Amino acid sequence: MNTFLFRKFTPLAALLGLGITACQPDLEDDFKPNKGSADFSRYIAVGNSLTAGFSDGGLYLEGQVNSYPNILATQFRTAGGGEFNQPLFTEAQRNGSGYLSLTGFTSAGTPTTANVTTNLAVRSLNPTLYTRYEGRVDNLGVPGIRLSDIHTAGYGSTQGNAYFERITPATTATQTYFQRVKAEAATATFFSNWLGNNDILGYATTGGVGGIITRTDTFTLKNNRIVNVLTTNGAKGIVATIPDVTNIPFFTTVRVADIRARFKAANPALDVYIQTTGTAGAQVVRLATDADLLTLPSSAVIGTATTGSPFPVGAGVGTGVGQSNPVPNQFVLDATEQTNVRTATTAFNTAITNKANEKGLAIFDSNAFFARVATSGITTNGVTNTASFISGNLFSLDGVHPTPRGYAVIANEMIRAINSKYNASVPTVNPNDYRGVRFPQ
Amino acid sequence: MNLKSLLLAGGALLSGTAASAGGYQVTLAGQKNNGMGGVGVGLSLDQAAMFYNPGALAMVKDRGVQVGVNLTLARNAFVAEGSNQQRELRNSYTTPLNFYAGFGPAEGKFRAGIAVYTPFGSKLQYANGWEGRTSLTDIDLKSVFVQPTVSYAITDQLSVGAGLVVLAYGAVNLQRDIALPDSYGHVELDGKADTKFGFNAGIFFKPSDKLSLGINYRSKIDAVVKDGDVTFSGIPASFSSRFQATKFNATLPLIATTSVGLGIMPNEKLTIGFDASLAQWSKYRVLRFDFDQQVNGSTVSESKRAYQDALTFRLGGQYKLTEGLTVRAGGAYDQTPVQDGFVTPETPDNDRISGTVGASYSFGKFGVDLSAQYVGIQKRTQTQNELINNATTDRIAGTYKTNIVIPGIGLNYAF
Repeated sequence: MNTFLFRKFTPLAALLGLGITACQPDLEDDFKPNKGSADFSRYIAVGNSLTAGFSDGGLYLEGQVNSYPNILATQFRTAGGGEFNQPLFTEAQRNGSGYLSLTGFTSAGTPTTANVTTNLAVRSLNPTLYTRYEGRVDNLGVPGIRLSDIHTAGYGSTQGNAYFERITPATTATQTYFQRVKAEAATATFFSNWLGNNDILGYATTGGVGGIITRTDTFTLKNNRIVNVLTTNGAKGIVATIPDVTNIPFFTTVRVADIRARFKAANPALDVYIQTTGTAGAQVVRLATDADLLTLPSSAVIGTATTGSPFPVGAGVGTGVGQSNPVPNQFVLDATEQTNVRTATTAFNTAITNKANEKGLAIFDSNAFFARVATSGITTNGVTNTASFISGNLFSLDGVHPTPRGYAVIANEMIRAINSKYNASVPTVNPNDYRGVRFPQ
Repeated sequence: MNLKSLLLAGGALLSGTAASAGGYQVTLAGQKNNGMGGVGVGLSLDQAAMFYNPGALAMVKDRGVQVGVNLTLARNAFVAEGSNQQRELRNSYTTPLNFYAGFGPAEGKFRAGIAVYTPFGSKLQYANGWEGRTSLTDIDLKSVFVQPTVSYAITDQLSVGAGLVVLAYGAVNLQRDIALPDSYGHVELDGKADTKFGFNAGIFFKPSDKLSLGINYRSKIDAVVKDGDVTFSGIPASFSSRFQATKFNATLPLIATTSVGLGIMPNEKLTIGFDASLAQWSKYRVLRFDFDQQVNGSTVSESKRAYQDALTFRLGGQYKLTEGLTVRAGGAYDQTPVQDGFVTPETPDNDRISGTVGASYSFGKFGVDLSAQYVGIQKRTQTQNELINNATTDRIAGTYKTNIVIPGIGLNYAF
């Protein structure tokens, strides 16, 4: 190119250079985080195992790190949120209480699991106690706690709940959960409250045999009290409803229809029989129907041989004495028991929702959400997740508690509810950055 | 820069980013046209008429050879729904090339020629670990069309022309991550398209020195990939039995386009062109891959596209400043074929508005053409609810914005 051309085209080339630099589009200003009318400077989380980050039948470091309160706190930090301390197990004791890990599958495709027993944080076996955590705690999630337990003195003692014991200061060893929440709420500006699951869960997971459902009046009273104490100082927050547990893999994985097909393949005369609670508490044996829910632990029992019975567990030819080897009652949630569970869930959720509305709080309707997940799954950034055991990504190996992916999805739903209620723009996370069930390496 | 080095540079990558005309269609066929908003159907500027309207070739004064190369620089920003984190492409560029040679008797009514151009293509490399990684991480679509062309002037005012369009080279490389319960694997689909034929025909009418009209039709060609290679990586042993495919078949429609054009020459120095095109994108319903063995439980993967026919309007002009120097400017408005809820990362599309400038300098028989385009693909947001409602949740909800800058240079030599 000669100089004449160069001179002629220099302005064009300069324009071009400008064009290229200005070319990169920028969308960040469109999505600036914003706290709206909420104040995230001190966030505390009140709740049970779900709040603690319990997963795979145990509480361990990875689950704690991926708890929904920790995800929320991390996201709140983009909108003025402060420090958030969890009672984490140390790296050396990272396996905490121990938990289930997937070891493989049987030739029939049934998953096999084993307990992780190394690097535990167990400091006493009888009673079971865990390494204490001294220091500020913002995640007050206590696995196993029922709403009905919040006023129980000594719940944080060595004779009480081991998870509450490890975070209860020695100087106030008899402090109730309510008193602890009250003390922390004094300086909190934002809270989440998700209690009440265990007021039904114990009854449901034992097939209506062990555990009782908390009375609705008791539930309502204690729910009102804890929300009152959380909002006394003007803190804003979010509460969550209780999901209908009959949608979770603990009750949907082992199906009567599948067991029946298995028995009939072996011998067409066989069918599935269960033990259940009849009128006036009498134990009756009857033919199982597809409406009966079998619990996840029943899979280890059904089909096994029993000394003195010609039938494997669950199989039979009739209801008469000696005609069957019924599935024991504690593995079966029958129609009546399911109704009890649903009635209580609805009543408790009414109490939770009414109180939240009275206080103008955000609500994460986890019952509606998990019902939707059970029906149609949830796709996260192109990845399909369902309520199925193991393959669904959302539920951990205990069939009740979420995986890190499940907790991330919950955190996102809560963020949406918070954003909507407080006119905030807290960013959500990419749930696909959080794992589903861990497979054997 | 001489012709040889230009050819070498262009030969490095015969491909194009979706620069214009929506979807993965590229209209960078002539360097003069590129400076004028891409008009050309109603004009008889130079040998590139073989692409824009073969009917106009017989009316092109000169016979000659010309070659052009463009550098497409696409810059994209993406924010996933609910997120505040902006993702940007791993920046890449493509260099779509065009080549034309026109022959014929100096005063005769016949013209013949050969054209080589790249009307479809796309190359995008998304950020590592971006939210849409299971839809797409990388795409590289290339096509090279070769078109022997004849044109005949029936009268001094009316000429017709047609070309046999040969899909001489087509290649597709698609990569995405595979979501496993506790990790990600990766799959790469790589294949070459079969050689296929189509046609490009046009009529050119020039009732006076001041007015010309043209109509052009380019037929659809299905790019058919047979026995492309499937390569999995990063799949742990526990899942490898679910990812066994080694070969795939797929078909991508390279759609038909009908255009009409108008040329106005108020005086000898000024030429103004206006084009309107209809791209028949509605042929692109689904993107389907058939695998020889199963991929995560299925031997077929289908993803909805449901594109719609789209219109493009172009306006441009050139002015002959001096005997040697001609300057150009233009713009285009380009409707997207992609409906709400159907936007995919391979074409993060929306309506496009582009502005162009250009200039030529001729030294007698030899000439240089420069062009520059700025294409703004409008900001596009699609929500997860739209994806759910359209059963298109295999892609991602969020906001895309893309800008493309395309400088280009052409050399021509008239016999």
